[in-house]
Amino acid sequence: MKRLVVNPDACTGCESCMLECSFQHEGAFGLDHARIQVERREVSATFRPRVCIQCEERHCIAACPVGALSIHPDTGAIRVDGDLCTGCGLCERACPHGGIHFVQGVKSPFVCDLCGGEPKCIAMCRKAQAISFAVIGGGDER
Amino acid sequence: MSASHTAYSQYVLDIDLSSGVIKREEVAPRDIERFLGGRGVAAAILARSMREGVAPLDPEATFIFSMGTLTGTNAPMTGRSGITFISPVTGLYCKANVGGHFGLYCKLSGIDYIVIRGAAEHPTYLWIGDDDAQLRDARSLWGKGVRDTTAELEERHGHNINVACIGPAGENRVAFASVMSSIYNAAARGGGGAVLGSKNLKAIAVGRPHQTCSPVSAEAFGEAAADMREALYADTMSDSYYTYGTAASVDTMNETDTLPSRNFQRGRIERIEQLTSKYWNDHGLLKGRIGCASCIYSCHRFVRIDDGPYAGACSAGPEYETVSALGSGPAIESIGALQCANERCNDLGLDTISAGGVIQWAMETYEKGLLPAELVGDMDLRFGSEQAVTELPGMIARREGLGDLLAEGTRRAAERIGGDSWKWAVQTRGLEQSRVETRGALGYALAFAMNPRGPDHLHTECIAEFGMTPEMRGLIAEITGDEAYARSDTTEKRAEIVRYHEDIYAVSDALGVCAFASTAAYGANPERCARLFSAFTGISLDADEIMDAGRRMITLERLINLRLGWVNDPNQYAPWRLMNEPLKTPTGDVPRLDEERMGGMVREFYELHGWDLESGVPPQGVVEALALEEFA
Repeated sequence: MKRLVVNPDACTGCESCMLECSFQHEGAFGLDHARIQVERREVSATFRPRVCIQCEERHCIAACPVGALSIHPDTGAIRVDGDLCTGCGLCERACPHGGIHFVQGVKSPFVCDLCGGEPKCIAMCRKAQAISFAVIGGGDER
Repeated sequence: MSASHTAYSQYVLDIDLSSGVIKREEVAPRDIERFLGGRGVAAAILARSMREGVAPLDPEATFIFSMGTLTGTNAPMTGRSGITFISPVTGLYCKANVGGHFGLYCKLSGIDYIVIRGAAEHPTYLWIGDDDAQLRDARSLWGKGVRDTTAELEERHGHNINVACIGPAGENRVAFASVMSSIYNAAARGGGGAVLGSKNLKAIAVGRPHQTCSPVSAEAFGEAAADMREALYADTMSDSYYTYGTAASVDTMNETDTLPSRNFQRGRIERIEQLTSKYWNDHGLLKGRIGCASCIYSCHRFVRIDDGPYAGACSAGPEYETVSALGSGPAIESIGALQCANERCNDLGLDTISAGGVIQWAMETYEKGLLPAELVGDMDLRFGSEQAVTELPGMIARREGLGDLLAEGTRRAAERIGGDSWKWAVQTRGLEQSRVETRGALGYALAFAMNPRGPDHLHTECIAEFGMTPEMRGLIAEITGDEAYARSDTTEKRAEIVRYHEDIYAVSDALGVCAFASTAAYGANPERCARLFSAFTGISLDADEIMDAGRRMITLERLINLRLGWVNDPNQYAPWRLMNEPLKTPTGDVPRLDEERMGGMVREFYELHGWDLESGVPPQGVVEALALEEFA
């Protein structure tokens, strides 16, 4: 199964991926509403994308006290059940990758859904390739 | 979710520094229809604010930050913002445009324009947070460089803010002080930093924005943005801009004697190797690439020197203009010295083009024996002096000794030194020429002559006249009817070529599109710009109509300059040196820009616009056709 792969050294901090992500999911451009977040340090020109990388451990699922998080069987992305979620924030705290976050005024967390299997952010990063979509960890599609 | 724009509107944050009153006002919809936004609407705001007898550095002068209409969106390379003011060095209309993330942050805070009026009693900065704008004490920031200013504001407000600020050069009203944003991005030309310094406004800090903006037609906008993105990815130059940035062709220019050197006396230097971006890539000096908001090329680069006398020197860039202004121009061949000078100019808030211009003028004046000994001191001022390019920026910004003379720019410095030194002040109307050898590039020569802010490339980047790529040759064929006009050594069709580039450049600046996307690569053509603008705003324009709006902006800028005393002066079509001295090259002379060729191109240009052929004044009919009566 393909996953998002992040290469922070290649990130230029342009935030195109964030704007595209927000637009694809919300129909509007905003920074908070992007499932992918970029930490920017302008003085040293160092930038780090933070996004769910569909890790093996799935710390967020383990941390959820109400079972609101699960793995999408087709894509491997995290699925949020908005009815079950209480907005407690434990998933955000548990994730070591900064891959899941809350937005003020919205109960459920924001996490990458791989756009249903074809992540749109990739097209924004074709030159730098700081984010790519690939099979890793013993796969044969690379 | 909070949607800022449901039906489309734009907002001005109006700041009176004298009274401390801050207002938020909506822009008249008719202004957006006529001027598209950004640079266009800012010019209209400036024109309406102008009063007889107000000098550029008077408190009553108005200074405007403007965000592009598409800034804040995923449309490629739309992260630009701008500043608009009356230049303290030319006394004329001036706009400067800048990348980085400041525009994005303002836009998603619900702010399209920041209009600064009056002057604060003591150093002040503007803080923009959630639904909140406040003037705060900046006394502890005064005297600080751009990095330290930004770092202190981050300490106060958090690391995820964005800052636009001036350095010591702006505080001390240096004629070519820049406004810096995202630390390394310069709205450089014309002395905007000096205007903010005169107003005691050190910085604007914008908190991480939590709002959103939406296109009126989301689906159409998404399609138009994707279409423009694919066109820009497909452009022949796109790999080069990513891999090598703006300094990609320095070595080729050197070989063809088109790289201005020794104050425009030569077109090449002896050893070019270290000034090429290939060298920085290959020797590990390139530490990273920096993308302006929503940029898919990321031409901006970060270079650090690891060893030698300049170890530790680091900054974004150097960009092409800086390589030529502070490298080949003063005959500097070491990337260490060049990057040190670049770093200092950026941190002090100096325009590198004019800084390089005044340093080269000082070198030539010294070598010709006209610079008084007490001004020279023990500084080595010969061409090639690394001491001069690395130490003079600080002296200029602080107005120390020779630096105080140079801080006024080459025109005023030459007036003070006298003799023939004005002949090698490579400026017109007070602005130092940017780093294009216009004696061999006649489209550029015409563009520079007609640029309202003076002789530079950032109103009308017509590099297409060199015909280096299929896209450039195709565009020239589209404009003139024949690809054969993609040659820079003829006056033929230059007026048509300049007119197209003026219009699309104005459209780009209004929409927040990087001019690299429309006049260096060509994905942002009139049709795509019109589609994006229409889908985003709901104001339906086609390609011709959006270019007409560009023409309206150009005409408005001419009307503003006429009010400020601009006259069509053939002596100001190009710097004296370029109009009177041929360029010497190993393969022969490139002829001077003589009055006959320049005058002929200018008349053709005026004829195309329907402007008076002698005075360059737009007649009443033209003004009415463009609905500009209010400004005439």
